This record gives sequence, structure tokens and C-alpha cells, in this order.
Amino acid sequence: MTIRFGLVGAVALATTSLLSLGSAMAQDEVTITIWSLDDANQPALNLAREFDELEPGIKVEYREIQFDDVVSEAMRAFATGQAPDIIAVDNPEHALFAARGAFLDITDRVANSDVIDPANYFPGPLNSVTWDGKLYGVPKATNTIALYYNKDLYAKAGITEPPKTWDELVEVSRQLNDPANNVYGLAFSAKASEEGTFQFLPWAQMGGGGYDNINAPGAVKALEVWKTIMDEKLASPDTLTRGQWDSTGTFNSGNAAQVISGPWELNRMLEEAQFDWGVALLPTETDGGPRSSAMGDFNWAIFASTQHPDEAFKALEYFASQDDRLFPEFGQLPARSDVEIPETGVALKDAALQVFLEQLQYAQARGPHPEWPKISKAIQDAIQQALTGQATPQAALDQAAATIDGILGQ
Amino acid sequence: MNRLLSSLRDGKGFDIVLVAVPLLFLIALSGLPLIYNVVMSFQEVDMFSLGTFARPWVGFKNYVAVFSAPETWPILRNTAVFVVCSIAGQFVLGFGLALFFTQNFPGASYIRGLFLASWVMPGLVVGAIWNWILAGDFGVLNYVLKSIGIISDNIFWRSDTNWSLWAVIIANIWLGTAFNMILLAVGLAGIPRDLYEAAQLDGANGWQRFWTITLPMMRATIGAVISLGLIFTLQQFDLFAAITSGGPANSSNVAQYWAWEQSFRQYDFAKGSTISVVMIAVVMIASVIYVRSTRHEVRG
Repeated sequence: MTIRFGLVGAVALATTSLLSLGSAMAQDEVTITIWSLDDANQPALNLAREFDELEPGIKVEYREIQFDDVVSEAMRAFATGQAPDIIAVDNPEHALFAARGAFLDITDRVANSDVIDPANYFPGPLNSVTWDGKLYGVPKATNTIALYYNKDLYAKAGITEPPKTWDELVEVSRQLNDPANNVYGLAFSAKASEEGTFQFLPWAQMGGGGYDNINAPGAVKALEVWKTIMDEKLASPDTLTRGQWDSTGTFNSGNAAQVISGPWELNRMLEEAQFDWGVALLPTETDGGPRSSAMGDFNWAIFASTQHPDEAFKALEYFASQDDRLFPEFGQLPARSDVEIPETGVALKDAALQVFLEQLQYAQARGPHPEWPKISKAIQDAIQQALTGQATPQAALDQAAATIDGILGQ
Repeated sequence: MNRLLSSLRDGKGFDIVLVAVPLLFLIALSGLPLIYNVVMSFQEVDMFSLGTFARPWVGFKNYVAVFSAPETWPILRNTAVFVVCSIAGQFVLGFGLALFFTQNFPGASYIRGLFLASWVMPGLVVGAIWNWILAGDFGVLNYVLKSIGIISDNIFWRSDTNWSLWAVIIANIWLGTAFNMILLAVGLAGIPRDLYEAAQLDGANGWQRFWTITLPMMRATIGAVISLGLIFTLQQFDLFAAITSGGPANSSNVAQYWAWEQSFRQYDFAKGSTISVVMIAVVMIASVIYVRSTRHEVRG
């Protein structure tokens, strides 16, 4: 793995230096480098190319990085003075860089910008690029999770409406659970990775908790609900080791009647699911109680070490100006409330989108905190210990709270 | 000058060059990274100090932190279980297969070659295949075990804390058996036939021949196979990443996966190095035992 990084890095470096040599000869042309995980079917690469052509004085070098390598590559590059000008980073890891001064403070630039207005962004994504009251980036896109349900199985079980509360969710899952036909009532992910935190944190927040108050009574109740679901086998025991993508696969094949997942599933579900389905907001602790949801996707940021902050910010402005194309062209949701999402003409998809857009208003950032990976690990450990019966939900979350307090106190 | 040149070509100088080249190679590519790793385990390292050597020195703080973590002992115990059971399984099956293929039936050598398919496959591919086999709801293994009546309820190999480590061990035994078989088959082929003929004339039965000829003559090969097995199982990372990710609740976590998790998931490089150093120490002790145990061996 390390060897591969090294090679790719060396080749990339060699290419970059060669190319920048070439461009230095052209008159006054400025080169900015952009790192992102997007490939040719996703926005960043295309927008970067367009910006390159649009601006005669600016040359854009684009490098694609794998999801798992973004942080380690970026920090290695920053530590050795080779950081790109612009990077796309996963939102919970934004603060890791911002708090250490690795990202450029763009508060003033945004204030003077005609294109980027913080007021247009959903609060969750905006919060994730903010550190200590200052802006260190711009949300690139966003996503969240909600409850998908199989309408055919609902009809068969005589259920007319998706559940509104946690208790209803458990009750509905019991009715839908049908081991004889290999159907589980619910699918979700409690995996010991960021995905587990991503799925659990909204429940804790709806229960009045949060990452800094993870053992609040409502959060404990949330974990107890999860444990009930696992203990009664209303969801597959593999929920503990399966990510959201694979869990949703079981929903698409009709082996789970409901699944908690995000809008990135829409296209695959339209293709695979041979039944009628719908999307509902995540159930809350009590009827009409506070809502919350997870917030995913990446942010744009400029490295503090850049030699061309003006050109780099101009690039971010261009990207933001194209946010209305994110959904129609690339299937991603803009992190903004002022961008109209056009109808796709596919009824199931359009209905689902409306729910996701509503759910997005309640989406909360994970953190932001520079030690997020450790905080997240404490939460994952608690989930796994409680669900495997090694500790009660209360004890597991108390332990997580103690660990997190230690991290926050530092 | 001339004397120096001729000594380089043919004499002491040449010997020195012969020694120096591999030594330099070892120091540059193994020694320095090893030392760097040990140094990191005594420092406070985070992602932003990765590029420099001047990092705060913290003494044994990382070691204290690692050994006072509640998950440490379960993970070390898992590592021991994983190593011992994987090696035992690979060795017994590999030896059995090697003996089987010495029976020289038609096509024996071709079929033996086919067994290597498992060894040449990348670990992540093997992991993905075993993921399907071991899947809880629709796995092949559960189906087979249920059909022949060994189990009545599905075993969730990857998600049940009682089974998750065994899921990886089973996959690892499958992965390593063929390699054991080939090495042991080579060792078996090296035993002179006339020894067996002489023993047979003296009236030794199959078991006696195995116990008094095969095993003693295979001693060096067996030592090598087991120490290589130790190295390969302690390096086994892909299967953990592909099958259980060390979960659930660390029930299948082992030192090598844990070290990677600390370094590249939590970005705590110091702790990751500390775990690696502990592993290096364990391997060193194992190799000393191995070297001592084979020192007095008589080579056939």
C-alpha cells in the first residue's frame, strides 16, 4: 500500500514539476493544483477543466486521489511543503486541517465575493467549513440519510404510513420481519467505521445528545432501540460489519423491508428494485420531537501554503457558480438552499428528492473538531460493544463520553 | 592503485565488496525504516509533524498508553490465537496434501500445481470470495453446514464475536495451505528412496517409516515452513481488511491491523509505531527460538 502511494506520488510529483516548468515559460501564466477524489463522471474534474479553459492566465493541474488516501496524502504533502493549492476533503476531517492552520482563512474573501454568500448554504455544511468563527472552505456538495421503505411489503403487512417515532419504527419492523421468506424488517449500518458514526449520531442528536454529550438519556435510549432491533433480529446480524452500500443492496433485492441510507442510492435503486418504494424522514424519539440527520460529502478548501490565493479563490467561486449543475449533470446535491433542483421526470426519484431536501435542513455536521477520527472511534466502539452485548448501552456510552471528554479537554 | 584494483578483482577487496553490497542494501531498505519506526514510537507524532525528525520526545508514554488500553490484551490474545491456529491448520493440511501427492498417481503433479491458485491470488480477492462464502444470511458455508445437519441456525461468521476471528483464520488457512504443501513436497522429494526400501525390508510399517524417516529428514524444511508461516501470518492484513475490519467490537482485531488502524485511521502514528515495535520484539524472540532449535540439526 505504502509502496503504491510512493510510486503514484513520485510520478505525480515528476509530472507536476515538468508541467510547471513548461508553464513557467509561458508568459505570466499561474498554475494552480487541485486534488479531489472526483473522476470523469463527477463534478470536480469537469469543473476544473472548464475553469482551466475559461481563464487564459490560469493553468489548472488536476490530480485524482482515492477516498481512503485523501487525508494521508494531503498531510504528507503539507508536511513536506508539496501541498496543492486546492483540495476537496471529507467534511468531518475539515477541522483537522483548519484548526492547525493548514487551510487558508477565506472569511474576508467570501465577504467581498459576489458569488459565494454563506447565507445561501445549509447550516450543517456551512458549520463543517467553519472553525473558531472563521470560514476555511466552501461546501462542495452534501448528502444525508433518511428511511427508504418497500411499499409493496408495507401493503402486504397492512401498514399504511412510514413510522414517525423510534417505537413505531421497531413496531413496524416487527410486523415486516419475515424470517421464513428471508426478509428483515430493517437494514442499516452499525459498522465500526465512520459509517457507523454517520448513522448513529443523528439518533443521539434527536435524543438531545451529541458527540460532546453522547451519554445523554435520549442517546442511550437510541442505542437501546438499536439493540432491540439487533437482539430481535429485526435487522441482519451482519449490520455490525456491513457498510451502507451493502445494507441497501439487501433492501434492493427485497431482503429488507426498510433501509436507512442516502440519496447516493437513488440511481442504483431505480435500476435494481423490482418493487414500489418511497422515502420518509428519519423517525424521531417522540412524535413531533426534534429532528436531526447526518451530513455527508466533501468541502473545498485552499491550503494556507498556496502561492496564488487569489486565483485559487477564483476557482472556488467558479465551482460555486456552477452548483445548479450538480444534480442534473452529476446526481449530487448542492449544499445550498437557494439552488432549485429541477424535476427529473422519474416520479420515484423526484418524490425521494423532496424528502432528502427536507431532511437536509436538519442535517448536522460531525464535529467540527480537529480530533474527529478519535471522537468517532469512541462512538463506534460504544455502538459495537453495546450491540454485541459486551456492555449495556448506558455503560458503553458512559465509557465513550469519558473518552471523548478526555479528547475535548485537551 | 594497481594493487587496490587487483585486490578488488580478486582478493580481500572483492570479499569486502561482496559483503558490503548486501549490507548496504539491508541497512538502507530494512535497517533505517526499522530504526525510524522505533524512534517514532518514543515521539509524539501527528500528521503535521510527519515530514520532520524534530518531534517532541515523550519517552515511554506511547508504550504506557498502548499497554493500559483496555483493548490491548484481547487484541494480543487474538493475534496469538490467529498465528498459532493459522500455522497449525496450514501445516497439517499442507503436510497431508504433500504426502498425498507423493503417491504419484496419474496427473498428481498437475493437480498439485493447481493448488497454487489460492496462493497466487491477491489477499483482497481472497477476502472478497470468503466474504461471500461466509456471509450470514446467504453464505455458501452456512448452506452446506445446514444441509448436512451440522447447524440449525445460520452462523454469522463475520458479525458474531464468537466466530469473527475464526472466519479470518479459516480464510487464512485456505490461503496458506498450498504454499506449505509445495515447500513440504520439495522436502519430501529430497529424501532418498532407498531409506524407505531398506526400512521396508527390515519390516517397518508405514507409521514407523513416517515417524523415524520422514519426520527427522524433514526437520529443516518443517522449521523453515513454520517460520515462514509465522512471518506470513503476522503480515496478514488484507483478509482482516476485507472480511471483518477487525470487528465487531475488536473481536477479530490483531496487532498488525490495529497498528494500521492507529496510524491511518486515527492518524496516531506514534501509537501505530509502538504496536509495530512490540510486534518486532515478538518476532525477534520467535526467530531466536527457531535459530536455537535448528542449530544442532543434522542435515541429510
